[in-house]
Amino acid sequence: MAKRRGKRRGKRRGESLTLRYAILGAWALFCLMPVLWFLSIGLRPRTEIITPQPIYLPSFSLDAWHMIWEDWPMARYLRNSVAAIIGSVVIDLVLAIPAAYSLSRFEYRGRDDIGFYILSTRMMAPAIVAVPIFFLFRNLGLLDTIWALMLIYAAINLSFVTWIIRSYMLDIPKELEDAAKTDGAGELRILWEIIIPAVLPGIITAAVIAMIFAINEFLFTLLIASTPEAYTMSVALANFTGGSDGIIYNAIALVAFLAFLPVFLVVVAIQKHLSRGLTMGAVKG
Amino acid sequence: MNKPANSHAGATPVASACAPGRTFRRRSKCLRNALPYLLVAPAVLYLMLITLYPGVFAVTQSFHEVKFGPWKPVGFANYAKLLGDHQFWGALRNTFVIGSISLVLQCLIALALAFYAYRDPWVKGWRIVFLIPMLFMPSAVAFIYKLAFLDARVIADLLIRLGFIDDNIGFQSSIWLSRGILILADVWQWTPFLFIIFVAALQGQDEEIEEAARLDGASWYAIFWNISLPMMMPVIIVALILRAIDITTMFANVFIITKGGPAFGTETISYFIYRTGFKFFNFGYASAASVVMLFITIVVAQLVVKRAFVSARS
Repeated sequence: MAKRRGKRRGKRRGESLTLRYAILGAWALFCLMPVLWFLSIGLRPRTEIITPQPIYLPSFSLDAWHMIWEDWPMARYLRNSVAAIIGSVVIDLVLAIPAAYSLSRFEYRGRDDIGFYILSTRMMAPAIVAVPIFFLFRNLGLLDTIWALMLIYAAINLSFVTWIIRSYMLDIPKELEDAAKTDGAGELRILWEIIIPAVLPGIITAAVIAMIFAINEFLFTLLIASTPEAYTMSVALANFTGGSDGIIYNAIALVAFLAFLPVFLVVVAIQKHLSRGLTMGAVKG
Repeated sequence: MNKPANSHAGATPVASACAPGRTFRRRSKCLRNALPYLLVAPAVLYLMLITLYPGVFAVTQSFHEVKFGPWKPVGFANYAKLLGDHQFWGALRNTFVIGSISLVLQCLIALALAFYAYRDPWVKGWRIVFLIPMLFMPSAVAFIYKLAFLDARVIADLLIRLGFIDDNIGFQSSIWLSRGILILADVWQWTPFLFIIFVAALQGQDEEIEEAARLDGASWYAIFWNISLPMMMPVIIVALILRAIDITTMFANVFIITKGGPAFGTETISYFIYRTGFKFFNFGYASAASVVMLFITIVVAQLVVKRAFVSARS
């Protein structure tokens, strides 16, 4: 009986379960404490944030909730974020799916170099291209527009969206394709009718990860969106510093929490594919 | 792009000829050869726009003095100045110091956690809990750490209550404590990234080998050290490279928490470029720094990353 229980818990010889749960539990606590702190900041009145002695049990208040909707154009920031993110993901998929198809299902000269070039753009520090990109968008008259954000988010994410989808496409058995070919289907019809349905989980994973990176993007958004016209949530937060009022922490915490919830739900839904997506397909989760 | 040299007029109306649903039995040979290039071309052209164009632009601009008026050619003056600029070298060193400490900590913690979690019956639960920090906006995380350490002094207060220290700590005035905040925030938020990947790698390993070693009397740490770890190596390297790229480009935390201070002790290279270009409007000089970084990136990419990704895939 004891042996079976040990096996069920994945216990190894000489390993202490107490130690295992102590370590995992301690890290879980470390993960969650700042989150609770977030929530407690978001739901307390402004007067109880920065005090001579920190207040651990604050009074409950919806100050921040009223502030973000009434004092700031939060609806516009939200709309900007959503529009820029969805637009960028659409651009990415339109460009990445054919590219991944080409890189995974064809043999041709220069293919691996092209693939590596696409991958290598992921290594470019945003700060390196920040100055030229700023001038590019200024000359195009796109500064302070969500179009610029859409284009730049798409560019940042394109490399790994392509590589994730490519990795899933490599897994499709060649026979499936050959069968369709003998039926006289052309390559593009095969892509549309066989490949895309087969790699749908990969496409969704790539889209979710691209969405998260786009929400988080900070430096470019800061440079491109210099007026509230084009602020997204991420940069709007950094500007919640109402002059003499100082940094408005409770509004920041509440907005961050509200933005976290939908992302959390989506990520839990694709949990199984996450490790593969995060390594651009290098790990088969 | 690299279209085959022998492609003739047939290659032009490709887009319409390739509409889904049409058969290709009578299609010419050159079109068949061009198809994979045509499929990948839009993505490559798009990426060139944000890498090649800025690259050329930055190199050109780096040989000019660009402040408010027209560009003034100055030859190698920007690079010469860069060589003697303590703040630039300091920023490189800070990026390396903060980045490597943070990366080593994250890797060790994630390995330990993954090792304890992957055979646990509640591994899915642990994964969801550990994932949470990664899903908060980095700018908001930066503010919350700034609040806890600096503005509301919660951490100092807790340490006093627990009896570790007697007096308030000036996190803001110590270089190493400021670096510590950046490292802690990064470890908190991004250890899960490595954890998730490592757990997947451990779960994917062949259980029979592990079982055979166990029956031979090998202890669990010997199994981990001699079997699991070497098997995971390619994955660990890929994961660390991806993490290293993001750490070296750390910006939001520096921008929000420390502003590079005290005494430029936490100024990373990204923040240096931002400050030079967008606060002092010295764009030519910022571009020179960008070009140096670009050069380092390309060298590292060719030497390390290419090899790592190839070995992880095979």
